[in-house]
Amino acid sequence: MSPNQLTVIIPSRGMLPMLEQCLAALGRSLETAGLREQSTMAVVDNATAPPLPPKRIVAAGAELLRLDAHHSFSQANNLAARRWPAANYLLLNNDVLLQPETIAEMLDLLERIPQAGICGARMVFPDGTLQHGGVVFGPGKKGPYHLLRAQPSHLMPRIDREFQAVTGACMLIRDELWQQLGGLDESYPFGLEDIDFCLRARQIGRRIFCCQGSESLHFESMTPGRVKLDVGSRELFMSRWQGRYTIDG
Amino acid sequence: MPKPKITGIVHTRDSAATLEAALASLAWVDELMVVDMQSGDDSVAIAQRHGAVVHQVEIAPRIDGVRNRFTAQASGDWVLVLDSDEYLSGDAPELVQSLIADKGGSYDAFALPRYNYLGDQVMVGGGRHPDYQIRLFKKGMVLWPDAHHTLPLVTSGPGRLWEVPPSRGPHIHHRNYRDLRQLISRQLDYTLTDLYPSDPASFDFAAYLARAHQQMALRSDPETDGDLSQAMALVMAWDAVMRGLIHWDSLEPRPPLNMLDGFPRAAAQMPRWEIRLRRYLGRHLALKHLLRAVRARLRALLPKRS
Repeated sequence: MSPNQLTVIIPSRGMLPMLEQCLAALGRSLETAGLREQSTMAVVDNATAPPLPPKRIVAAGAELLRLDAHHSFSQANNLAARRWPAANYLLLNNDVLLQPETIAEMLDLLERIPQAGICGARMVFPDGTLQHGGVVFGPGKKGPYHLLRAQPSHLMPRIDREFQAVTGACMLIRDELWQQLGGLDESYPFGLEDIDFCLRARQIGRRIFCCQGSESLHFESMTPGRVKLDVGSRELFMSRWQGRYTIDG
Repeated sequence: MPKPKITGIVHTRDSAATLEAALASLAWVDELMVVDMQSGDDSVAIAQRHGAVVHQVEIAPRIDGVRNRFTAQASGDWVLVLDSDEYLSGDAPELVQSLIADKGGSYDAFALPRYNYLGDQVMVGGGRHPDYQIRLFKKGMVLWPDAHHTLPLVTSGPGRLWEVPPSRGPHIHHRNYRDLRQLISRQLDYTLTDLYPSDPASFDFAAYLARAHQQMALRSDPETDGDLSQAMALVMAWDAVMRGLIHWDSLEPRPPLNMLDGFPRAAAQMPRWEIRLRRYLGRHLALKHLLRAVRARLRALLPKRS
């Protein structure tokens, strides 16, 4: 196995206590996958003022990439992927607490299905309702949305399933695909660059799956100012993709 | 328009512990120079590993006097100077390039904001941020006087210097002290090796005690920097008292210490107006910051030009 089998990229603007919990859960998940030594946990400090404390990040077993200017989610991930190349990349939000078996399941899926280029993960809110089990597309202005979002989690069958897109809050991507697409599109301010990436992957024949075996925890949109940036991203996404994706059921 | 060439210069003296990070953060510059003052550790080997051209210089009491010689040797259009315990962020290449592209036509030098770390914590209260440093400039446009605590001079005048807003970056990240222990150790070293006046008649222990009070008042900013600012204030106050005792001990004959008498007199000697002014202005560490703060306040009162 190559020394860096997996780079996990976690952009963070502040939120240090949450980030430390995220890293602890990630460490356990990498341990379970047997990848602790062949992976890099890369925290991108996205212009936190004052900066995230380097020693605490390193003590949590992660590498730190400090950015002094606030960058988009795409830029932050692309910079980290360039800094720590690997066979696979896991994009991970700092408010996601992975289950120990999640990474192993996601990697296993990519191994089992050679055409799969991207694998997402099933996640729940703290109240047990579903946060993400796959992204589907509605007609007209509705566009992409999380299937069964905020519904009781048991409504989503526990079987790995193919989608047109999955969320970038926890998204495993093969390096070969990442390079082919040039990483995430940096013209998105914040949000939907992940869905854009999935749709572009489909256009070159790669398949996208969501692992349903374990339920990780996702608090969602914890970073202040995040929702405001989402509006511009949505406009850009719809102008590019409306009419080009398939409407689900 | 061709991209301007940038030369990075780092000064070292037994800097192996921090040099790796400094040079790694400058990997993108067109030319990298390390000016080494006879390091006995691995500094030179680290510099060579990073592809730097290493210049050896004699040990000088102040680094500032040496800087001019090597900025003149840079082959770049722009010079970026870092100390060996400083580093730049991961997005510095694009930030520096865009700064030069946007403002380099109007300005000859940039004062970059600096984050100062005590251990793992950035100290921002009491004027410790943005702590502007003139470190990015067109070749030949900045000169360092050979003196302690003196600002470098922009040869084309202050109007050609731009203080880069912290929101725009890039910052210099300065690992001031590894931990409190290192701060104490360094302060003690300065205190023990400094020169003290030799005239017993001029000795006044109360003046040192007043300075200790002043340090406590100025440095402590728990609302911004928490307990660490109080710890720092205590160290600096302790430093003032130690200086008084070392000064007293070096005198021949020793004058009366007058410790008990010194406390009330010290309270009377406290420059309260200065403390209040500096706290109000948010810049208290050095006069240069004080003057800058006054200028910034006055500027803010002027109507904005369209």
